[in-house]
Amino acid sequence: MYRKFLSLLKNLTVSFEKMINILTTQEHNPLYFHGAIPLYIFWFLIFSGILLWMYYIPTLERAWSSVNYISALPLIEKGVVNPADPSSGIPYGSIIRGIHRYGAAGMMIATILHMLRVYFTDRHRSWRWLPWISGVALLVLVLFVGITGYLLVWDNRAYALTVWTQAFIAAIPIFGQGLSSFFIGGDGITDYTLIRFFFFHVGGASLIFILMWVHFIRLKYPVVTPSRATNFLVLGFILVAAGAIPAINITQELVEKYPSLRDQIAYVASDAPANIGTLVANVRYDVWYMFPYYLIEKLGITGAWWIMGISTILLIVAPFYPKDRRDNIAEVIEAKCTGCTFCSLDCPFEAITMQDRAPGSKFKLIAVVQEARCSECGICVGACPFQAIELPNMDSKAIDGDVMALLKQGA
Amino acid sequence: MSTSSELTPSVSSESKSKVVVGFVCERSIPIQEMINQQKALHDDPNVKVVVLPCSGMVKPSQMELALAQGAGATFVCGCAMGDCHYRTGNIMIKERLEGERNPKLRKSTDRTKVGMFFFTMKDKHPFLEALAKFKALAFKS
Repeated sequence: MYRKFLSLLKNLTVSFEKMINILTTQEHNPLYFHGAIPLYIFWFLIFSGILLWMYYIPTLERAWSSVNYISALPLIEKGVVNPADPSSGIPYGSIIRGIHRYGAAGMMIATILHMLRVYFTDRHRSWRWLPWISGVALLVLVLFVGITGYLLVWDNRAYALTVWTQAFIAAIPIFGQGLSSFFIGGDGITDYTLIRFFFFHVGGASLIFILMWVHFIRLKYPVVTPSRATNFLVLGFILVAAGAIPAINITQELVEKYPSLRDQIAYVASDAPANIGTLVANVRYDVWYMFPYYLIEKLGITGAWWIMGISTILLIVAPFYPKDRRDNIAEVIEAKCTGCTFCSLDCPFEAITMQDRAPGSKFKLIAVVQEARCSECGICVGACPFQAIELPNMDSKAIDGDVMALLKQGA
Repeated sequence: MSTSSELTPSVSSESKSKVVVGFVCERSIPIQEMINQQKALHDDPNVKVVVLPCSGMVKPSQMELALAQGAGATFVCGCAMGDCHYRTGNIMIKERLEGERNPKLRKSTDRTKVGMFFFTMKDKHPFLEALAKFKALAFKS
Protein backbone atom coordinates (compact mmCIF):
# COMPACT_ATOMS: atom_id res chain seq x y z
CA MET A 1 0.00 0.00 0.00
CA TYR A 2 2.67 2.48 1.09
CA ARG A 3 4.91 1.36 -1.79
CA LYS A 4 2.04 2.00 -4.21
CA PHE A 5 1.64 5.45 -2.68
CA LEU A 6 5.35 6.18 -3.19
CA SER A 7 5.10 4.90 -6.75
CA LEU A 8 2.12 7.18 -7.44
CA LEU A 9 4.02 10.18 -6.07
CA LYS A 10 6.94 9.36 -8.35
CA ASN A 11 4.68 9.06 -11.38
CA LEU A 12 3.10 12.43 -10.67
CA THR A 13 6.48 14.08 -10.09
CA VAL A 14 8.01 12.71 -13.30
CA SER A 15 4.92 13.74 -15.31
CA PHE A 16 5.17 17.26 -13.94
CA GLU A 17 8.90 17.45 -14.60
CA LYS A 18 8.40 16.21 -18.13
CA MET A 19 6.30 19.31 -18.78
CA ILE A 20 9.04 21.52 -17.34
CA ASN A 21 11.57 19.72 -19.57
CA ILE A 22 9.56 20.79 -22.60
CA LEU A 23 9.96 24.41 -21.51
CA THR A 24 13.53 24.34 -20.25
CA THR A 25 15.22 21.18 -21.65
CA GLN A 26 16.74 18.63 -19.27
CA GLU A 27 19.91 20.67 -18.97
CA HIS A 28 18.24 23.70 -17.38
CA ASN A 29 15.28 22.17 -15.58
CA PRO A 30 15.47 23.92 -12.18
CA LEU A 31 13.86 20.89 -10.51
CA TYR A 32 16.94 18.85 -11.39
CA PHE A 33 18.97 21.26 -9.22
CA HIS A 34 16.60 21.07 -6.28
CA GLY A 35 19.41 20.32 -3.83
CA ALA A 36 21.79 22.97 -5.11
CA ILE A 37 19.32 25.87 -5.01
CA PRO A 38 19.11 26.18 -1.19
CA LEU A 39 22.91 26.21 -1.00
CA TYR A 40 23.08 28.81 -3.76
CA ILE A 41 20.63 31.04 -1.88
CA PHE A 42 22.55 30.45 1.34
CA TRP A 43 25.60 32.18 -0.16
CA PHE A 44 23.49 35.30 -0.77
CA LEU A 45 22.27 35.14 2.81
CA ILE A 46 25.84 34.93 4.10
CA PHE A 47 27.07 37.90 2.07
CA SER A 48 24.01 40.11 2.60
CA GLY A 49 24.11 39.12 6.28
CA ILE A 50 27.72 40.30 6.59
CA LEU A 51 26.75 43.66 5.07
CA LEU A 52 23.78 44.04 7.44
CA TRP A 53 25.93 43.05 10.42
CA MET A 54 28.28 45.99 9.72
CA TYR A 55 25.53 48.40 10.80
CA TYR A 56 23.50 46.29 13.20
CA ILE A 57 23.66 47.17 16.92
CA PRO A 58 22.33 44.36 19.16
CA THR A 59 20.93 46.39 22.06
CA LEU A 60 17.33 46.93 23.11
CA GLU A 61 17.72 50.65 22.58
CA ARG A 62 19.29 50.64 19.16
CA ALA A 63 18.53 47.36 17.37
CA TRP A 64 15.35 48.60 15.68
CA SER A 65 16.80 52.01 14.77
CA SER A 66 20.00 50.45 13.39
CA VAL A 67 17.95 48.19 11.12
CA ASN A 68 15.82 51.19 10.16
CA TYR A 69 18.97 53.15 9.36
CA ILE A 70 20.11 50.37 7.02
CA SER A 71 16.90 50.00 5.08
CA ALA A 72 14.84 53.19 5.37
CA LEU A 73 13.64 54.48 2.04
CA PRO A 74 13.14 58.17 1.33
CA LEU A 75 9.46 59.02 1.42
CA ILE A 76 7.98 58.64 -2.00
CA GLU A 77 7.92 62.00 -3.70
CA LYS A 78 6.14 62.36 -7.00
CA GLY A 79 5.68 58.63 -7.13
CA VAL A 80 9.39 57.88 -7.40
CA VAL A 81 11.57 56.00 -4.91
CA ASN A 82 15.33 56.24 -5.23
CA PRO A 83 16.98 53.48 -3.23
CA ALA A 84 20.36 55.10 -3.84
CA ASP A 85 19.38 58.26 -1.94
CA PRO A 86 21.80 58.41 1.00
CA SER A 87 19.71 60.97 2.88
CA SER A 88 17.69 58.33 4.71
CA GLY A 89 20.16 55.54 5.44
CA ILE A 90 22.55 53.30 3.56
CA PRO A 91 22.38 53.57 -0.24
CA TYR A 92 20.69 50.42 -1.53
CA GLY A 93 20.34 49.29 2.09
CA SER A 94 16.73 48.28 1.50
CA ILE A 95 17.86 46.12 -1.42
CA ILE A 96 20.52 44.38 0.71
CA ARG A 97 18.00 43.82 3.48
CA GLY A 98 15.49 42.68 0.86
CA ILE A 99 17.98 40.12 -0.48
CA HIS A 100 18.41 38.85 3.09
CA ARG A 101 14.66 38.85 3.76
CA TYR A 102 13.52 37.28 0.50
CA GLY A 103 16.57 35.04 0.29
CA ALA A 104 15.57 33.60 3.69
CA ALA A 105 12.05 32.90 2.43
CA GLY A 106 13.54 31.47 -0.78
CA MET A 107 15.88 29.20 1.15
CA MET A 108 13.03 27.75 3.20
CA ILE A 109 10.86 27.27 0.10
CA ALA A 110 13.76 25.66 -1.79
CA THR A 111 14.62 23.43 1.18
CA ILE A 112 11.02 22.21 1.50
CA LEU A 113 10.79 21.62 -2.27
CA HIS A 114 14.09 19.72 -2.16
CA MET A 115 12.79 17.53 0.63
CA LEU A 116 9.45 16.89 -1.08
CA ARG A 117 11.15 16.08 -4.37
CA VAL A 118 13.51 13.60 -2.68
CA TYR A 119 10.56 11.97 -0.90
CA PHE A 120 8.29 11.97 -3.96
CA THR A 121 10.93 10.24 -6.08
CA ASP A 122 11.66 7.67 -3.35
CA ARG A 123 15.24 8.78 -2.85
CA HIS A 124 15.18 9.03 0.90
CA ARG A 125 15.22 5.41 2.00
CA SER A 126 17.66 2.66 2.93
CA TRP A 127 21.29 3.55 2.15
CA ARG A 128 20.32 7.21 1.85
CA TRP A 129 19.29 7.56 5.50
CA LEU A 130 22.18 9.84 6.48
CA PRO A 131 21.55 12.55 3.86
CA TRP A 132 17.83 12.39 4.70
CA ILE A 133 18.19 12.65 8.48
CA SER A 134 20.87 15.34 8.24
CA GLY A 135 18.45 17.09 5.87
CA VAL A 136 15.72 16.99 8.51
CA ALA A 137 18.19 18.49 10.99
CA LEU A 138 19.08 21.16 8.43
CA LEU A 139 15.41 22.01 7.96
CA VAL A 140 14.97 22.51 11.71
CA LEU A 141 18.17 24.56 11.84
CA VAL A 142 17.13 26.77 8.91
CA LEU A 143 13.83 27.36 10.71
CA PHE A 144 15.65 28.28 13.92
CA VAL A 145 18.07 30.64 12.16
CA GLY A 146 15.18 32.27 10.28
CA ILE A 147 13.16 32.86 13.44
CA THR A 148 16.13 34.33 15.29
CA GLY A 149 16.60 36.64 12.30
CA TYR A 150 13.10 38.00 12.86
CA LEU A 151 13.91 38.54 16.54
CA LEU A 152 16.97 40.68 15.78
CA VAL A 153 14.87 43.51 14.32
CA TRP A 154 13.34 43.92 17.78
CA ASP A 155 9.98 45.25 16.72
CA ASN A 156 6.57 44.46 18.23
CA ARG A 157 6.48 41.15 16.43
CA ALA A 158 9.96 40.17 17.66
CA TYR A 159 8.90 40.84 21.24
CA ALA A 160 5.74 38.76 20.84
CA LEU A 161 7.72 35.90 19.28
CA THR A 162 10.23 36.07 22.14
CA VAL A 163 7.49 35.79 24.76
CA TRP A 164 5.82 32.87 22.98
CA THR A 165 9.10 31.09 22.35
CA GLN A 166 9.94 31.39 26.04
CA ALA A 167 6.57 29.88 26.95
CA PHE A 168 7.04 27.14 24.35
CA ILE A 169 10.47 26.21 25.70
CA ALA A 170 9.36 26.47 29.32
CA ALA A 171 6.78 23.74 28.65
CA ILE A 172 9.58 21.18 28.30
CA PRO A 173 9.54 18.99 31.43
CA ILE A 174 12.40 19.43 33.94
CA PHE A 175 14.75 21.50 31.76
CA GLY A 176 12.15 23.92 30.39
CA GLN A 177 12.66 26.83 32.79
CA GLY A 178 16.45 26.65 32.52
CA LEU A 179 16.36 26.50 28.73
CA SER A 180 13.93 29.38 28.61
CA SER A 181 16.33 31.54 30.64
CA PHE A 182 19.19 30.36 28.45
CA PHE A 183 17.20 31.45 25.40
CA ILE A 184 16.90 35.07 26.54
CA GLY A 185 20.27 35.21 28.30
CA GLY A 186 19.01 35.66 31.87
CA ASP A 187 15.83 35.95 33.92
CA GLY A 188 14.47 38.88 31.96
CA ILE A 189 14.88 40.62 28.63
CA THR A 190 17.97 42.81 28.64
CA ASP A 191 20.64 43.90 26.18
CA TYR A 192 22.15 40.45 26.71
CA THR A 193 19.01 38.99 25.12
CA LEU A 194 19.72 40.54 21.75
CA ILE A 195 23.37 39.56 21.93
CA ARG A 196 22.18 36.01 22.62
CA PHE A 197 19.78 36.14 19.66
CA PHE A 198 22.57 37.47 17.46
CA PHE A 199 24.75 34.57 18.57
CA PHE A 200 21.95 32.10 17.82
CA HIS A 201 21.45 33.61 14.37
CA VAL A 202 25.10 33.70 13.30
CA GLY A 203 26.11 30.55 15.21
CA GLY A 204 23.16 28.67 13.71
CA ALA A 205 24.12 29.81 10.23
CA SER A 206 27.66 28.56 10.83
CA LEU A 207 26.28 25.25 12.06
CA ILE A 208 24.42 24.94 8.74
CA PHE A 209 27.81 24.59 7.03
CA ILE A 210 28.81 21.77 9.37
CA LEU A 211 25.51 19.96 8.85
CA MET A 212 25.84 20.42 5.09
CA TRP A 213 29.16 18.61 5.32
CA VAL A 214 27.39 15.71 7.05
CA HIS A 215 24.64 15.96 4.42
CA PHE A 216 27.19 15.55 1.61
CA ILE A 217 29.59 13.14 3.28
CA ARG A 218 28.12 10.03 1.64
CA LEU A 219 27.53 11.60 -1.74
CA LYS A 220 30.23 11.49 -4.40
CA TYR A 221 30.19 14.58 -6.62
CA PRO A 222 27.22 16.33 -4.93
CA VAL A 223 25.48 18.86 -7.15
CA VAL A 224 26.27 22.15 -5.39
CA THR A 225 25.85 24.58 -8.28
CA PRO A 226 22.62 25.03 -10.21
CA SER A 227 22.72 25.62 -13.96
CA ARG A 228 23.45 29.19 -15.04
CA ALA A 229 19.85 29.68 -16.17
CA THR A 230 18.58 28.50 -12.76
CA ASN A 231 21.03 30.85 -11.03
CA PHE A 232 19.70 33.84 -12.95
CA LEU A 233 16.11 32.76 -12.36
CA VAL A 234 16.53 32.46 -8.58
CA LEU A 235 18.57 35.66 -8.27
CA GLY A 236 16.06 37.47 -10.48
CA PHE A 237 13.15 36.46 -8.23
CA ILE A 238 14.98 37.67 -5.12
CA LEU A 239 16.07 40.99 -6.64
CA VAL A 240 12.68 41.75 -8.17
CA ALA A 241 10.96 41.00 -4.86
CA ALA A 242 13.49 43.13 -2.94
CA GLY A 243 12.88 46.05 -5.29
CA ALA A 244 9.13 45.67 -5.66
CA ILE A 245 8.11 45.21 -2.01
CA PRO A 246 10.91 46.67 0.10
CA ALA A 247 11.70 45.03 3.42
CA ILE A 248 11.61 48.10 5.65
CA ASN A 249 10.58 49.14 9.15
CA ILE A 250 7.15 50.70 9.30
CA THR A 251 7.71 54.02 11.08
CA GLN A 252 5.13 56.35 12.54
CA GLU A 253 6.02 58.82 9.84
CA LEU A 254 5.23 56.28 7.12
CA VAL A 255 1.94 55.29 8.74
CA GLU A 256 0.87 58.91 8.89
CA LYS A 257 1.63 59.44 5.24
CA TYR A 258 0.35 56.04 4.00
CA PRO A 259 -2.34 54.81 6.43
CA SER A 260 -2.88 51.52 4.59
CA LEU A 261 0.83 50.67 4.40
CA ARG A 262 0.79 48.35 7.42
CA ASP A 263 -1.93 46.21 5.87
CA GLN A 264 -0.18 46.13 2.52
CA ILE A 265 3.31 45.07 3.53
CA ALA A 266 3.03 43.93 7.11
CA TYR A 267 4.12 40.35 6.27
CA VAL A 268 7.34 41.61 4.76
CA ALA A 269 8.11 44.72 6.73
CA SER A 270 8.94 45.10 10.39
CA ASP A 271 6.56 46.72 12.85
CA ALA A 272 7.07 49.60 15.27
CA PRO A 273 9.84 49.25 17.90
CA ALA A 274 9.18 46.68 20.62
CA ASN A 275 7.61 47.91 23.79
CA ILE A 276 8.55 45.46 26.53
CA GLY A 277 5.52 44.45 28.54
CA THR A 278 3.06 45.26 25.74
CA LEU A 279 2.00 42.43 23.45
CA VAL A 280 0.37 43.74 20.29
CA ALA A 281 -2.70 42.08 18.83
CA ASN A 282 -2.83 40.72 15.27
CA VAL A 283 0.82 39.76 14.81
CA ARG A 284 1.47 39.05 11.12
CA TYR A 285 3.07 35.63 10.65
CA ASP A 286 5.56 34.97 7.93
CA VAL A 287 4.22 31.78 6.32
CA TRP A 288 7.58 30.07 5.91
CA TYR A 289 9.17 30.66 9.31
CA MET A 290 6.43 31.45 11.77
CA PHE A 291 4.09 28.50 11.30
CA PRO A 292 5.08 27.12 14.75
CA TYR A 293 3.59 30.29 16.29
CA TYR A 294 0.45 29.86 14.25
CA LEU A 295 0.22 26.33 15.69
CA ILE A 296 0.76 27.69 19.19
CA GLU A 297 -2.03 30.20 18.68
CA LYS A 298 -4.47 27.66 17.28
CA LEU A 299 -3.62 24.51 19.28
CA GLY A 300 -1.95 25.85 22.39
CA ILE A 301 1.61 25.07 23.48
CA THR A 302 0.99 21.37 24.20
CA GLY A 303 -0.80 20.83 20.89
CA ALA A 304 1.98 22.57 18.98
CA TRP A 305 4.59 20.39 20.71
CA TRP A 306 2.64 17.25 19.79
CA ILE A 307 2.24 18.23 16.14
CA MET A 308 5.86 19.25 15.69
CA GLY A 309 7.20 16.32 17.70
CA ILE A 310 5.21 13.70 15.79
CA SER A 311 6.07 15.32 12.43
CA THR A 312 9.77 15.26 13.30
CA ILE A 313 9.63 11.61 14.42
CA LEU A 314 7.82 10.61 11.21
CA LEU A 315 10.48 12.39 9.15
CA ILE A 316 13.26 10.65 11.07
CA VAL A 317 11.82 7.13 10.66
CA ALA A 318 10.80 7.66 7.00
CA PRO A 319 14.04 6.26 5.48
CA PHE A 320 13.70 2.97 7.36
CA TYR A 321 10.30 1.95 6.03
CA PRO A 322 9.45 0.02 3.90
CA LYS A 323 12.55 -2.14 3.89
CA ASP A 324 13.88 -3.40 0.56
CA ARG A 325 15.34 -6.85 -0.10
CA ARG A 326 19.09 -6.37 -0.22
CA ASP A 327 20.34 -9.36 -2.18
CA ASN A 328 22.43 -7.79 -4.92
CA ILE A 329 25.17 -5.96 -3.06
CA ALA A 330 28.37 -5.51 -5.04
CA GLU A 331 31.09 -8.09 -4.38
CA VAL A 332 34.81 -7.69 -5.01
CA ILE A 333 36.63 -10.64 -6.62
CA GLU A 334 39.86 -10.42 -4.73
CA ALA A 335 41.99 -12.31 -7.24
CA LYS A 336 41.06 -9.92 -10.06
CA CYS A 337 41.18 -6.58 -8.22
CA THR A 338 44.24 -4.54 -9.23
CA GLY A 339 43.52 -1.67 -6.85
CA CYS A 340 43.02 0.76 -9.77
CA THR A 341 40.45 2.78 -7.70
CA PHE A 342 38.05 3.30 -10.64
CA CYS A 343 35.12 1.73 -8.76
CA SER A 344 35.83 3.75 -5.63
CA LEU A 345 36.04 6.98 -7.63
CA ASP A 346 32.74 6.34 -9.41
CA CYS A 347 30.60 4.96 -6.57
CA PRO A 348 27.92 7.65 -6.07
CA PHE A 349 27.39 6.82 -2.40
CA GLU A 350 30.98 6.45 -1.14
CA ALA A 351 30.35 2.75 -0.53
CA ILE A 352 33.75 1.56 -1.78
CA THR A 353 36.99 2.27 0.03
CA MET A 354 40.47 1.25 -1.05
CA GLN A 355 42.40 -0.63 1.59
CA ASP A 356 46.00 -1.83 1.80
CA ARG A 357 46.64 -5.43 0.82
CA ALA A 358 48.86 -7.69 2.87
CA PRO A 359 52.61 -7.11 2.39
CA GLY A 360 54.01 -9.10 -0.50
CA SER A 361 50.77 -9.01 -2.52
CA LYS A 362 50.95 -8.45 -6.27
CA PHE A 363 48.91 -5.24 -5.96
CA LYS A 364 49.05 -2.57 -3.29
CA LEU A 365 45.33 -1.88 -2.79
CA ILE A 366 42.05 -3.73 -2.82
CA ALA A 367 38.50 -2.39 -3.11
CA VAL A 368 36.23 -3.05 -0.13
CA VAL A 369 32.45 -2.61 -0.32
CA GLN A 370 30.67 -1.20 2.74
CA GLU A 371 27.44 -3.15 2.46
CA ALA A 372 25.17 -0.73 4.32
CA ARG A 373 26.04 2.04 1.86
CA CYS A 374 25.76 -0.02 -1.34
CA SER A 375 22.77 0.91 -3.53
CA GLU A 376 23.12 -2.16 -5.81
CA CYS A 377 23.23 0.20 -8.82
CA GLY A 378 26.17 -1.52 -10.52
CA ILE A 379 28.00 1.70 -11.42
CA CYS A 380 31.14 0.16 -9.90
CA VAL A 381 30.69 -2.81 -12.26
CA GLY A 382 30.64 -0.44 -15.22
CA ALA A 383 33.76 1.27 -13.90
CA CYS A 384 35.84 -1.90 -13.54
CA PRO A 385 37.86 -2.88 -16.61
CA PHE A 386 38.97 -6.12 -14.95
CA GLN A 387 35.60 -7.66 -14.03
CA ALA A 388 36.80 -7.59 -10.45
CA ILE A 389 33.59 -6.23 -8.92
CA GLU A 390 30.19 -7.66 -9.75
CA LEU A 391 26.53 -7.68 -8.72
CA PRO A 392 25.88 -11.34 -7.75
CA ASN A 393 22.49 -11.49 -9.52
CA MET A 394 23.79 -9.99 -12.77
CA ASP A 395 27.50 -10.27 -13.41
CA SER A 396 29.42 -9.05 -16.46
CA LYS A 397 29.64 -12.55 -17.94
CA ALA A 398 25.86 -12.90 -17.80
CA ILE A 399 25.43 -9.56 -19.57
CA ASP A 400 27.95 -10.54 -22.26
CA GLY A 401 26.02 -13.82 -22.61
CA ASP A 402 22.76 -11.88 -23.01
CA VAL A 403 24.32 -9.76 -25.77
CA MET A 404 25.48 -12.89 -27.61
CA ALA A 405 22.08 -14.55 -27.19
CA LEU A 406 20.26 -11.49 -28.57
CA LEU A 407 22.53 -11.44 -31.60
CA LYS A 408 22.01 -15.16 -32.15
CA GLN A 409 18.30 -14.47 -32.59
CA GLY A 410 19.19 -12.35 -35.62
CA ALA A 411 16.87 -9.86 -37.27
CA MET B 1 26.57 -35.37 -27.91
CA SER B 2 25.49 -32.10 -29.45
CA THR B 3 25.23 -28.88 -27.45
CA SER B 4 22.21 -26.67 -27.83
CA SER B 5 24.25 -24.02 -29.66
CA GLU B 6 25.26 -26.54 -32.29
CA LEU B 7 21.62 -27.51 -32.80
CA THR B 8 20.54 -23.89 -33.28
CA PRO B 9 20.79 -22.85 -36.92
CA SER B 10 23.54 -20.27 -37.30
CA VAL B 11 22.43 -16.72 -37.96
CA SER B 12 23.89 -14.99 -40.97
CA SER B 13 26.07 -11.93 -40.38
CA GLU B 14 23.71 -9.98 -42.63
CA SER B 15 20.85 -10.80 -40.30
CA LYS B 16 22.92 -9.84 -37.27
CA SER B 17 23.94 -6.56 -38.84
CA LYS B 18 20.32 -5.40 -38.86
CA VAL B 19 20.12 -5.88 -35.10
CA VAL B 20 20.58 -2.98 -32.71
CA VAL B 21 21.60 -3.96 -29.19
CA GLY B 22 20.46 -1.57 -26.47
CA PHE B 23 21.51 -1.35 -22.83
CA VAL B 24 18.60 0.21 -21.00
CA CYS B 25 18.28 1.41 -17.41
CA GLU B 26 15.15 -0.08 -15.84
CA ARG B 27 14.29 3.29 -14.27
CA SER B 28 14.48 5.39 -17.43
CA ILE B 29 11.96 4.63 -20.20
CA PRO B 30 9.18 2.12 -19.29
CA ILE B 31 11.22 -0.67 -20.89
CA GLN B 32 9.42 -3.65 -19.35
CA GLU B 33 6.17 -2.73 -21.11
CA MET B 34 8.00 -1.98 -24.36
CA ILE B 35 9.62 -5.39 -24.95
CA ASN B 36 8.49 -8.94 -25.71
CA GLN B 37 9.80 -12.20 -24.25
CA GLN B 38 12.71 -12.20 -26.71
CA LYS B 39 13.71 -8.79 -25.30
CA ALA B 40 12.88 -7.11 -28.62
CA LEU B 41 10.98 -3.82 -28.80
CA HIS B 42 7.31 -4.20 -29.79
CA ASP B 43 7.71 -1.13 -32.00
CA ASP B 44 10.89 -2.32 -33.67
CA PRO B 45 11.71 -6.04 -33.26
CA ASN B 46 15.22 -5.51 -34.63
CA VAL B 47 16.06 -3.54 -31.52
CA LYS B 48 16.91 -5.96 -28.72
CA VAL B 49 17.74 -4.84 -25.23
CA VAL B 50 19.54 -5.82 -22.08
CA VAL B 51 17.83 -4.30 -19.05
CA LEU B 52 20.11 -3.11 -16.26
CA PRO B 53 19.56 -1.47 -12.85
CA CYS B 54 21.39 1.67 -14.00
CA SER B 55 22.94 2.94 -17.23
CA GLY B 56 26.16 3.51 -15.26
CA MET B 57 26.55 -0.28 -15.07
CA VAL B 58 27.26 -0.52 -18.78
CA LYS B 59 30.88 -1.11 -19.70
CA PRO B 60 31.97 0.45 -23.01
CA SER B 61 33.60 -2.92 -23.73
CA GLN B 62 30.13 -4.52 -23.74
CA MET B 63 29.00 -2.13 -26.47
CA GLU B 64 32.22 -2.89 -28.36
CA LEU B 65 31.44 -6.60 -27.93
CA ALA B 66 27.97 -6.15 -29.45
CA LEU B 67 29.47 -4.40 -32.50
CA ALA B 68 32.31 -6.95 -32.78
CA GLN B 69 29.79 -9.79 -32.73
CA GLY B 70 27.97 -8.30 -35.68
CA ALA B 71 25.35 -5.87 -34.32
CA GLY B 72 24.56 -3.04 -36.71
CA ALA B 73 24.55 -0.50 -33.90
CA THR B 74 24.36 -0.27 -30.13
CA PHE B 75 23.05 2.27 -27.66
CA VAL B 76 22.61 2.99 -24.01
CA CYS B 77 19.53 4.60 -22.49
CA GLY B 78 19.61 6.13 -19.01
CA CYS B 79 17.52 8.45 -16.86
CA ALA B 80 17.11 12.10 -17.81
CA MET B 81 20.30 14.10 -17.28
CA GLY B 82 20.19 15.49 -13.77
CA ASP B 83 17.71 12.89 -12.62
CA CYS B 84 19.57 9.57 -12.34
CA HIS B 85 17.98 7.52 -9.57
CA TYR B 86 21.50 6.60 -8.44
CA ARG B 87 22.67 10.20 -8.88
CA THR B 88 25.50 9.85 -11.38
CA GLY B 89 25.02 6.69 -13.48
CA ASN B 90 23.98 8.53 -16.66
CA ILE B 91 26.82 11.03 -16.29
CA MET B 92 29.33 8.19 -15.85
CA ILE B 93 28.33 6.29 -18.98
CA LYS B 94 28.13 9.52 -21.01
CA GLU B 95 31.63 10.46 -19.95
CA ARG B 96 32.95 6.96 -20.62
CA LEU B 97 31.50 6.91 -24.12
CA GLU B 98 32.82 10.41 -24.79
CA GLY B 99 36.29 9.36 -23.67
CA GLU B 100 36.38 11.56 -20.59
CA ARG B 101 36.26 8.86 -17.91
CA ASN B 102 37.79 5.42 -17.50
CA PRO B 103 37.10 2.83 -18.79
CA LYS B 104 36.67 4.60 -22.13
CA LEU B 105 35.21 3.50 -25.42
CA ARG B 106 38.05 2.51 -27.77
CA LYS B 107 39.09 5.21 -30.19
CA SER B 108 38.79 2.74 -33.06
CA THR B 109 35.06 2.23 -32.40
CA ASP B 110 32.78 3.70 -35.06
CA ARG B 111 30.97 6.47 -33.12
CA THR B 112 28.11 6.63 -35.62
CA LYS B 113 27.06 3.18 -34.44
CA VAL B 114 27.08 4.05 -30.73
CA GLY B 115 24.09 5.95 -29.36
CA MET B 116 23.22 7.57 -26.04
CA PHE B 117 19.72 8.49 -24.88
CA PHE B 118 18.58 9.97 -21.62
CA PHE B 119 14.85 9.92 -20.96
CA THR B 120 12.35 9.74 -18.11
CA MET B 121 9.84 6.95 -17.54
CA LYS B 122 7.23 9.12 -19.29
CA ASP B 123 9.27 9.52 -22.48
CA LYS B 124 8.42 6.36 -24.44
CA HIS B 125 7.57 8.17 -27.66
CA PRO B 126 10.40 10.72 -27.61
CA PHE B 127 12.74 7.76 -27.07
CA LEU B 128 11.32 5.84 -30.04
CA GLU B 129 11.65 8.94 -32.23
CA ALA B 130 15.26 9.51 -31.15
CA LEU B 131 16.02 5.82 -31.68
CA ALA B 132 14.61 5.91 -35.21
CA LYS B 133 16.79 8.93 -36.03
CA PHE B 134 19.84 7.22 -34.56
CA LYS B 135 19.18 4.05 -36.58
CA ALA B 136 18.77 6.03 -39.77
CA LEU B 137 22.16 7.67 -39.25
CA ALA B 138 23.91 4.51 -38.06
CA PHE B 139 22.76 2.39 -41.00
CA LYS B 140 23.39 5.15 -43.53
CA SER B 141 27.12 5.17 -42.82
